[in-house]
Amino acid sequence: MKLRTAIIGYGKMGKIRHKAMESHGGFDVVVACDTAIDPSATVPMVTRPSDVYDFAPDVVVCSVPNIFIPDLVCTALSHGKHVFCEKPPGRNSSDVQKMITAERAAGGSVLKFGFNHRVHDAIEEAQKLLSAGTMGDLYFMRGVYGKAGGPDYAKNWRNDPEQSGGGILIDQGIHMLDLFQMFAGNFCDIQSFVQRKFWTEVPVEDNAFALMKTPQGVVASLHSSATQWQHTFRLELYLRNGFISVDGILSASGSYGAEVLNIAINRLDSSGNPSPNPELQEIRFTQDLSWNKEVAEFYDAVVHGKPIKCGTSQQALDVMQLVEAIYQADPEWSQTLRTSATEVTG
Amino acid sequence: MQSPVFLDHLPDFEKIGGDKPARYRWQRNQSLLQLLLDSETIWTKRCACPACGEQSTNCKSFSKALLDFQRCTKCNSIFAQRVPTQEKLDQLRIEFIEDGPPEKDREFEFISLLNWVSITEARIERSLDHVVDIRFSSQMAGWKETTERLSHNRTWDFIDLSPDTCDFTDLSAALSQSSPKAVLLPVELDRVANPEMLLNAIKKSCPKQTVLFIASSCADGLEYEILGADSPSFVPLDRLTVFSISGLQSLCNKVGLSVLECSTPGRLDAVILDTHFKSEENSNIPFWSGFFKDADNNRLRDLQILLQRSLKSGILRFVAET
Ligand SMILES: [Zn+2]
Repeated sequence: MKLRTAIIGYGKMGKIRHKAMESHGGFDVVVACDTAIDPSATVPMVTRPSDVYDFAPDVVVCSVPNIFIPDLVCTALSHGKHVFCEKPPGRNSSDVQKMITAERAAGGSVLKFGFNHRVHDAIEEAQKLLSAGTMGDLYFMRGVYGKAGGPDYAKNWRNDPEQSGGGILIDQGIHMLDLFQMFAGNFCDIQSFVQRKFWTEVPVEDNAFALMKTPQGVVASLHSSATQWQHTFRLELYLRNGFISVDGILSASGSYGAEVLNIAINRLDSSGNPSPNPELQEIRFTQDLSWNKEVAEFYDAVVHGKPIKCGTSQQALDVMQLVEAIYQADPEWSQTLRTSATEVTG
Repeated sequence: MQSPVFLDHLPDFEKIGGDKPARYRWQRNQSLLQLLLDSETIWTKRCACPACGEQSTNCKSFSKALLDFQRCTKCNSIFAQRVPTQEKLDQLRIEFIEDGPPEKDREFEFISLLNWVSITEARIERSLDHVVDIRFSSQMAGWKETTERLSHNRTWDFIDLSPDTCDFTDLSAALSQSSPKAVLLPVELDRVANPEMLLNAIKKSCPKQTVLFIASSCADGLEYEILGADSPSFVPLDRLTVFSISGLQSLCNKVGLSVLECSTPGRLDAVILDTHFKSEENSNIPFWSGFFKDADNNRLRDLQILLQRSLKSGILRFVAET
């Protein structure tokens, strides 16, 4: 069965989704929408989101700036469409709440958010090791995810809090937080430092540090950075019987390197204590299949009624609440946010 | 198919260059010599590469010391041109193990094997709670005890080394009775007269989806590529077939095993070559003598990791499935 598909937001992400859907084969992209007509587009284009419904799509892909996400998603759901939406899921948790209300009202429509890091090969393999119990209880997690700002940092909508809801944390760090929650569940205790160091005139953070604990006592530390001049993705999971790490993440830019999964199980000395530096098993992944896996899961949910495991609206809500909690946990930063909110509202 | 790299400390040269390994090689070669001189020894000529099946007339001579060996021009595997019966080989090994001092200090190697099984089990998302060890416990004193001490969540059966037929009748019967989820085969494939017969026997005697953990010497290893039969690891009786990666892959395909993982976790190539090129008579070999002249442990480790990542170390591991 082919799903008639409308893509709203036909920039870099919209085109990535289009390509993945073509390679899946179960989608027929019938229309794309963006602010300007792309002359190189291979599908009909419109410039008003409401016009995509003239093409009678079954599903709507929403690849637009965060500010537009809740309205477009709610409209699509109210039209009875299934929706695949990029992360971050709006600008804050109340945006997600709105979409959840629309999802419930829509009944059978599928709503999936693109938290694709969950289905990267190295991450899936790490999850299997945790699930199998091979490594024992999870003690703590460390995550570093960062990049060097980006082109037109000051002008990019991603760094306009009105449009995006925040800076590097909500844009990129959110993936690491989502993975933390996938591995350990939700956090109850949160401390943070949120800073602007390099782009001091831009009203969003360029670094966020967070230290968090789950009710079960699993501790996680995050550093999300826009001044990570050497692009870095590193996730470490330390467990009773050893450790797992993922170094690098396959991305469209390729700038985070190949994805390398490291696994080590402790060697015990004669007294039963772990000896340092156990044998490490390193597995390299060189092909990013995450886009294809996401599209396949979405298709199976729509056509075969399978439940969404990656990118549910509940996961979206949980991670957005965590982002907000990290912003709030730094008293200086939350004061800055309150001041700017007051300035905006007058 | 995935190709993991196993990173660990490099062993000291003592382990490969000391008196014990030299004595071991000498004793095994004495056994081979006796076999060759014994007019009653039955030899089977190998007319084709035991890995990929390429006609041996198309293969190159590898060594003519004691026993003639060939290197397959198609798959790069190395193999003895003729082999004694399986029964005779098994008898010789048993005598040797009974006479020799027990193997010691293999704890790291044992733990590596146990962790290999555990990590694979998690990755294939299937319980491997019953494993059959094929003859490793006979070869390595301490292995059985290590599994009892460290492998708590699976049961083990151990098939001892005993004189078997060319098609492994006894081994097949023991495997059928055990009905394993996994089979561990760390030291057999290069030592048996007919590796294809061994894999066939395992495949036929085990339930479908039994996972095989195979380790063997690897002809693609830099050690064999550069030193050939001069490598200290090349003990003819223990290396009747030295598989290349593609050679073992071909054989698995032929037997009907699907390969899930392959790697070359050897840790000795760099130290073996270091010793070789630092010796007086090899001090003028282009590139390599200079490379090893000032090589410290860090450089050797870097080289060994590169070899592993490139599937070019002297030991291979395969995970395959019936
Ligand atoms: Zn061959």
